[in-house]
Amino acid sequence: MPSIVAESQPAPVTLGDARSGKYLTFQLGREEFGIRVLKVREIMGILEITAVPQTPSHVKGVVNLRGKVVPVIDLRLKFGLPAAEYTQRTCIIVTQINGESGNILMGVIVDGVSEVLSLTPSDIEDTPDFGEEITGNYLLGLAKVKGKVKILLDIDRVLSAQDLHHLKSMLQ
Amino acid sequence: MPRYVELQQRVEDLALRLVLAGTDSRENVDNWIEAIGAIHNGAVCEGATEAADAATALIATIQEGGATDPARILQDGISRLQQALGVHQPAEASLAQDPELLSDFILETREHLASLESQLLVLERDPSNVEALHAIFRSFHTVKGLAGFLELREIQKVAHEVESVLDLARNLRFTVSPEAIDVILLSGDYLKGWLDHLESVLQKQPSRCPDPDPNLLARIAAIPSLQLATPPGSLGSLAAAVEQKGRPQLTEAQPSLPSETAGEIRRAEAKAVKVDTAKLDYLVDMAGEMVIAETLVRHDPELAKVKSPRLQRNLGQLTRITGELQRTAMAMRLVPIGPLFRRMARLVRDLSRQFGKPVTMETEGDEIELDRTIVEELADPLMHMVRNSMDHGFEHPDAREAAGKPLAGRLLLKAQHLAGQVVIELSDDGRGLNREKILAKAVEKGLISGEENLSENEISELIFKPGFSTAAQVTDVSGRGVGMDVVRRHIEKLRGRIEVRSVTGQGTTFLLKLPLTLAIIDGLVVGVGAERYIVPLFSIHEIFRPKADTIWTVQERAEMALVRGSLVPVLRLYRKFGVVPRSEDPTEGVLVLAEVESQRFCLLVDELIGKQEIVIKSLGETFAGAVGIAGGAILGDGRVGLILDLDRLFRDKTGDAAH
Repeated sequence: MPSIVAESQPAPVTLGDARSGKYLTFQLGREEFGIRVLKVREIMGILEITAVPQTPSHVKGVVNLRGKVVPVIDLRLKFGLPAAEYTQRTCIIVTQINGESGNILMGVIVDGVSEVLSLTPSDIEDTPDFGEEITGNYLLGLAKVKGKVKILLDIDRVLSAQDLHHLKSMLQ
Repeated sequence: MPRYVELQQRVEDLALRLVLAGTDSRENVDNWIEAIGAIHNGAVCEGATEAADAATALIATIQEGGATDPARILQDGISRLQQALGVHQPAEASLAQDPELLSDFILETREHLASLESQLLVLERDPSNVEALHAIFRSFHTVKGLAGFLELREIQKVAHEVESVLDLARNLRFTVSPEAIDVILLSGDYLKGWLDHLESVLQKQPSRCPDPDPNLLARIAAIPSLQLATPPGSLGSLAAAVEQKGRPQLTEAQPSLPSETAGEIRRAEAKAVKVDTAKLDYLVDMAGEMVIAETLVRHDPELAKVKSPRLQRNLGQLTRITGELQRTAMAMRLVPIGPLFRRMARLVRDLSRQFGKPVTMETEGDEIELDRTIVEELADPLMHMVRNSMDHGFEHPDAREAAGKPLAGRLLLKAQHLAGQVVIELSDDGRGLNREKILAKAVEKGLISGEENLSENEISELIFKPGFSTAAQVTDVSGRGVGMDVVRRHIEKLRGRIEVRSVTGQGTTFLLKLPLTLAIIDGLVVGVGAERYIVPLFSIHEIFRPKADTIWTVQERAEMALVRGSLVPVLRLYRKFGVVPRSEDPTEGVLVLAEVESQRFCLLVDELIGKQEIVIKSLGETFAGAVGIAGGAILGDGRVGLILDLDRLFRDKTGDAAH
């Protein structure tokens, strides 16, 4: 019986070891998030963004990253938090994600970058069951470090599937 | 691989059938021969020569002595087949070990086949052209050698046969007749089929190998007897020569191949290097970026304050070098259009026989170079237009005679540089466009009301309208519902334009105006509010500031502008994109008159900022669905500018109006 239960809850339960490793943590509102360092290509200050018309509000537009045109999304708006003024601390984290046609670069705007953490399996806990609407399927788990909780994100899922789906449904 | 297993399975089945059928097998000898024949074909496909040979031998034995003890013969034969299949490594397995060698082979053989095709056409026109004959011989010889090296027996066999026949011709034993050329072209096509098959195997896609044509080898071998006028005296000796040579054995020719083949390959390699196109594109991209970065540095206000002649001189040098670098990188993507023209020559030849319309084809400007992608994408529309010309353009010989024209039609394909573009001209000296028929057809199809007073040019333009096809009857060549509108869409996708000129009774000329490259376009940078967009310059007709009486509204919704006496729909870009404009009053903005697929419309923008050469970049899959945006480009100040997709902008607008 237990094995059946485990199978019916696919992503987080059995991932224990696979989730440990280095994470880049950043702030968004009052919360701290982490994404895998391997997914991060570079971090840069906010720069001029060219808006692309007829896209969801969290898709801010595109920027010129040394000759490459890279889409940028605002993670605050994406997660339904109120928009905030961009400050000196505001950053664009350029991530490499698995798109439909190979790897693509995508920038995410966050309030500020904190540090790089090495997480062991014992630091990481599975996401409690909040019900579908809150968790989505892009949470890897929760990490407790020095009494603080960091929310670990599966950035591939946050960006690609959701955004693409959103864009497509908008167009239909 | 799976088909090899399947083959083995089929032989096993056969063995089982034999056991079950027992001695009754005598009655259905034909069935047995058919089944073994199928296995033979399968074995040839898989490159299992031994099994194929065993099958052939078995068929021969059955046919000879089927009456004595067929069951016994079958048993022996089938066990030999099983053996052959058991020990022989299939060709695909050995090939899979070195896919690189194989893909090189495919590439090289394709080149050889393309070049020998054009040489064959030369030879057909001038059978005494020894050089062409030698070139064809060499091509087959090289293909044979390469195929032998890779153990592609079937290809080797066909190439070898053709080569030995050509050798006879080379030694002036006979003259190559058009019929002979037919057969050689056919063998070329057969080899091409094999290459396609190998390519799919390489990409691990399902593919069937071309059906081995049992008659092909015989037809090739029979070529010398197809010879045209040879002096009667030499006939005997010729027959003897053919007899003597007979069906040459593969083995005897094999040892001779290494030296010459290897030499040729090396010579070709010394002149050219094969580079992955992705790397090349990246280089072009980076060169473009470097030009922009260089502009940024040179116009930096900080730098302008420095009054140093040495700095100015060095900056000038940098500008020159970056410009040169970009041009060179661009040139690396360019390929001559000649091979494409030669493909058309083959098509003309085949069609002229099929329709019974003698046509000579001439080409000019074979050396003109165009972007690789454009040349590739041009093949389909050009082929369609050539077909159209052959089918509808040219009259039948008797009609031509009645019109006092030379019997043979003349088709000209010409490429030339004209004002920074490449213009490809396809002209025939046929009957020309029948304007009355076009008009009648357009009215019938509801494309026009028939009351318009159209100029000759406007009538000719009607053939590009979607849903228009003049073919009175559907032939298998043209008139399959794919009309000139598809051709035009193709050309416009390449950022080109198509025009037609026609004089009744004297012929039709199509002009394809194409950009040199797809990577860079001339763009007009326009401003709307705080945003800047790039409009591709090639689709802009004119730009003007509207007066109060230029713009008219229709039912308070749609807007039209009066431009030179005709009404053109107006699209306010700020409304479309939800941007706050500097002014909503059109008379304070600028109207850009654009034409896409012969649809004209005006785009209202705030201001013109300037003209810029831009490198087009995809926005990626995130914005794949963004309506009206074709891509992005880095502007002179380092920001990203969005390139407008006028076609979709306009069509999307018509969609809105229907709601």
